[in-house]
Amino acid sequence: MTILIYGLITGILFGFLLQKGRVIRYDKQLGALRLTDMTIVKFMLTTILVSMVGVYLLKDLGLAKLSIKPTILGGVILGGLIFGVGWGLLGYCPGTSAGALGEGRWDAFWGILGMLTGAAIYAEVYPTIKQTVLTWGNYGKITLPQVLGINHWFIIPVFVIGGLVLFRWFEKKGL
Amino acid sequence: MKENEDKGWSPYIAGALSGIVSILSIWIAGKFFGASTTFVRSSGMIEKLFDPERVAKMEYFIKELPIIDWQWMFVAGIFIGSLIASTTSGSFRWKAVPDMWEARFGPSKVKRGFVAFIGGVIAMFGARLADG
Repeated sequence: MTILIYGLITGILFGFLLQKGRVIRYDKQLGALRLTDMTIVKFMLTTILVSMVGVYLLKDLGLAKLSIKPTILGGVILGGLIFGVGWGLLGYCPGTSAGALGEGRWDAFWGILGMLTGAAIYAEVYPTIKQTVLTWGNYGKITLPQVLGINHWFIIPVFVIGGLVLFRWFEKKGL
Repeated sequence: MKENEDKGWSPYIAGALSGIVSILSIWIAGKFFGASTTFVRSSGMIEKLFDPERVAKMEYFIKELPIIDWQWMFVAGIFIGSLIASTTSGSFRWKAVPDMWEARFGPSKVKRGFVAFIGGVIAMFGARLADG
């Protein structure tokens, strides 16, 4: 029960910030896909960079465990391409569709119905996919520091600096 | 007011605060942000209303049980958080056709709804395939 309340509170905070950042709107999401408005990239990448530092600190202090998904090239590449087509048509992603509905953009409701249908279809074909696509290029649960064989604190600053350079460029170009 | 003239917080500030919320969530609850598994669980819950025996035997619904968990509440929370932020700042708009869509494809709610639905089907299939 406590864990469900944690989920709700975390969601409320995140939904509040998503709305304040103006990142859950169709126009913003399509703006990013059309490379004309980088608002959601700024938001997402800042979140990722801050979390990256925090999560590895927690891990080093023994306060958290990483949750690593297996790298399966077949699933990630095909899934990514298919997701991109759907995202471009819908203009909301799974999490932001709930947020979009929350700020009254109710076309997201049709998207949510579509996503429930898509999940149901995937559940039907999962046994076949598991034996085919999900066996193509399976590298298991790997991380970048592990593959490169160096400590994560050498890699994290590279990402942080790369992100800051990118942000500076966005601001210069008025994206 | 056009969507793009409606300024909220800086995406860097809102994004950094979201990062802190994510760290606290991992620290306190051991939970990482995610949303798409919730759609699988919800589909399973809906299908269970019609044919519980079939759902109980399906491999994907055994892997992702049709139950309400942390992430399900997280996604419900996103809806509530966005509702609170938009209604308290006057940026809540009841609308079915986004500005950018209307400028290109016209004001039809049916057309927009149909494409949103199809887009949703494709997007979720891809998201699940990539396990994301």
